[in-house]
Amino acid sequence: MKSNFTKYLPSQLKYFFFLSFLIFISEEAISQNFSIEGKVVDAQSIPLPGVNVIIVNTEFGAATDKNGKYEIKKVPSGIYTIEYSALGYEKVKKENVEIKNRSITIDVVLFEAAIETEEVIVTAGKYKQKKSDLTVSSDVINGEEFENRNFSNLEDAIRFVPGVTMTDDQVSIRGSGGYGRGTGARALMAIDGLPFYTGDTGEIVWEMIPVTELERVEIVKGASSSLYGSGAIGGVINCISRDVSEKPLTIINAFYGIYDKPYYDEWDWSGERRPFNGITLSHSQQIDKFGFNIAFTRLEDQSYREDDDFKKYIGFLKAVYNFTPVSSLTFVLNTFNKNAGNFLYWKNSRNALIPPERNANDRVETDRYLFGLIYSGLVKDNLLLNVRASYYRNYFIDNETPANESASNLYRGEVQLHSTLNKNVSLTGGVEEIATTVRSNLFGDTHSFQTGIYLTSDFKFEFPLIATVGVRYDYSKLDTLDGTGDVSPKIGLNYKFLKNLVFRTAFGIGFRAPTIAEAFTSTSTGGITVKPNPEILPENNYTYEIGVNYNYLALFNLDVAVFFSKYKNLIEPVFDPSDGLVFFSNVLEAQINGLEAGITVFILPKVLDLTVNYTYMLAEDVLSGKALRYRPKNILYAGLNFNKWNFQSGIDFRYISRVEEVDDELVDLGIVVDGDLRVPTYSLDLNFGYSFISMDLPLSIYLNLKNIFNYNYVELVGNIRPIRSYSFGFNLAI
Amino acid sequence: MQQAIKRKHFGLILLAIAFFFFVISCDHGIEPLEAETSGFSGAITYVSDWPDSVQRSFLVVFQDPLVSDTNFTIFNLKFLSQEIPLGASVNNFSSLDSAYIPPDPGPFPAGTYAYIAVVQQSTPNLSLARKDWFVSGVYYANGDTTQPGAMIIPDNTFVRNINITVDFNNPPPQPPGGN
Repeated sequence: MKSNFTKYLPSQLKYFFFLSFLIFISEEAISQNFSIEGKVVDAQSIPLPGVNVIIVNTEFGAATDKNGKYEIKKVPSGIYTIEYSALGYEKVKKENVEIKNRSITIDVVLFEAAIETEEVIVTAGKYKQKKSDLTVSSDVINGEEFENRNFSNLEDAIRFVPGVTMTDDQVSIRGSGGYGRGTGARALMAIDGLPFYTGDTGEIVWEMIPVTELERVEIVKGASSSLYGSGAIGGVINCISRDVSEKPLTIINAFYGIYDKPYYDEWDWSGERRPFNGITLSHSQQIDKFGFNIAFTRLEDQSYREDDDFKKYIGFLKAVYNFTPVSSLTFVLNTFNKNAGNFLYWKNSRNALIPPERNANDRVETDRYLFGLIYSGLVKDNLLLNVRASYYRNYFIDNETPANESASNLYRGEVQLHSTLNKNVSLTGGVEEIATTVRSNLFGDTHSFQTGIYLTSDFKFEFPLIATVGVRYDYSKLDTLDGTGDVSPKIGLNYKFLKNLVFRTAFGIGFRAPTIAEAFTSTSTGGITVKPNPEILPENNYTYEIGVNYNYLALFNLDVAVFFSKYKNLIEPVFDPSDGLVFFSNVLEAQINGLEAGITVFILPKVLDLTVNYTYMLAEDVLSGKALRYRPKNILYAGLNFNKWNFQSGIDFRYISRVEEVDDELVDLGIVVDGDLRVPTYSLDLNFGYSFISMDLPLSIYLNLKNIFNYNYVELVGNIRPIRSYSFGFNLAI
Repeated sequence: MQQAIKRKHFGLILLAIAFFFFVISCDHGIEPLEAETSGFSGAITYVSDWPDSVQRSFLVVFQDPLVSDTNFTIFNLKFLSQEIPLGASVNNFSSLDSAYIPPDPGPFPAGTYAYIAVVQQSTPNLSLARKDWFVSGVYYANGDTTQPGAMIIPDNTFVRNINITVDFNNPPPQPPGGN
């Protein structure tokens, strides 16, 4: 099983030459250049900065500066529709704008809107779409929430997304995932469209994401393999990083907090309130055609549990070179180093915050790097080329004897074309290649290869109906295992019955190839011994959903979806009764059906709003009729937010019903003592923030109280979630 | 008037929410269990009819594996239950029940026990001679029916689900030393 990567190297080189060639030909394709400029003001003739001005069905666009002025350069001749939009203002469309051998000036007045401008999503179709045009359910976490609610880790924010649950660090969108002990994920995570999972375990490393650098996070629910291939079997989570600031901008963000004492005195293993802190320094600057965002984050947590402390260092660089307003090359670098305790599970319920003696002083050191290159540009009118290449290195080593050590390299390349054939039809297609090499004493010296080709199309009818049809073929080869091919089609409909009443329905088939860890793991840790399973097969699913969204004036927004899914060959860790060892096997045929309902009530528009989301889910093993492990039946999130006089505050409540099934073997075998103790989740957080902008100070401060009832619950057996904590932070923008 | 009704409704909603959070604030979720007495419990399930020849039946726990008849000693026998009612279809047992061995119910020592079985006798009186014992069911760990399963009792832990199936028509392999 020696590395065969050298076999793939020539094709990688060819790929980069091809990328360079495409960049040059796209520059040549742009010739006739005119501009559209103007000024955008509000009803009182006050200039409006930050208004998005886009030429519909093209990639041309700009934003207004502090004087409300904008300029879209190098626009080819043609007849266009220009759209002006800004949060809190009614959108304005200028139709039949003709550019013919001259530049033009268009001044616009925007009027305040009763409700916020519609969100744009890029993840569902790999190009910009209005959220109300989608055929699938989606959610967005805005970047400012990370600061306001002191989420230093993306997984903490994901816990509040409707229909999404976490079991420790493993995500489950509508019940797609259980707990696979750090191997594999049934949702694909990406940063700026670059898939973001490790080459050996296939896991999502949440803590590596630089949350202070995110503009927003988009979550698309349901099988998305027709565009994203393996891993997107349950959905996609795409992190969109911030654009480069037009003016030099330096931000210092820091926080300091403490965990309260545990509720039970006998759990107070340290006798002190344990501190945690973090600091991020970031800078953004545009120099002519070149711009960059750079950020360094240091996080330290002494933890409320023994042998669970960590120090993390996160680096992020996004460098953008704009060849023209419609073509750019972006370099992304994300680095991560961690030295942490390795807390697996508690000693017992009387010692819930310390590990068993055999796991005492367990530690792990991690180094990870992601390099990404993204080219985006118009090849010709209405034909957009996106090329993405990335390299992800993952290395970790623990302090056991002998040490568990693994290094993996994941190489990925994708060429994608998006074309708006006419105002009613758009087409997106592409090819993707992924190669992985692993050197590890847990997973062996192994390699894998995947290739995929996809095509999807959106049709807009006058009814008004939008239909989405797509299909992707993937071929996967996992080291010595037989290669397998999978076809993942999807179809979706979006029907705007009324302007404020939208129906949507989607059907998709997804698949997930087993990860190297699931096939080849051979290790022993924490009393659990895992053995390889070279017979493992890919898992498949189909998902179907029907949903409706209704807006009533500026009073509320209601969204309801019913979903059905069926999984075959679901990979789960199981115990082999013949030797008592754990291995990953295609054991389950499962169905997961449910309902998701969410309402946002604008009690006082822009001042006070209430959001309530409820998910009911029935996830069961078809053969045994038992509930799937780690899938709750009821999930409820509620949030009340107040924002006025530069002051903001929020209350966030989370309820998750007690999961019916967990890893009983760990309990029965006495590995996790008292491991059958679990309760429903009740979590209440409070946050307060104040901005000093009215005093001309670019400073905001915030206070967070999390788990204020000091309620003790587990997501994973023998793992108490964070107890009550208080933190104070500030954000200074210079 | 309408506004007054709205205010009243809003007030009621706030009151209900406050009451809800008050109730939750009294609950602190998972709490430490009392230190457990070490021991074991489980169930014997009989899947066939009892033969008329069976005079009495017991649950037995041996510390060391029964690899030869020398292991069949009173010193290795750590638990001998009271007689199981003849004809039972299910019998629940616990180390806290009164038993012949040990004579006084109480904590059962933590450790590893290699052989747990249901045995039957056809002699007129209770006999501790190996030749008078016939094993009608054995405890298997993790579903592995190729060999007797060990019962591991950690410190301060009461191990549950030590379940044994008895099929008189299909008895397990007999340990050495029998007839």
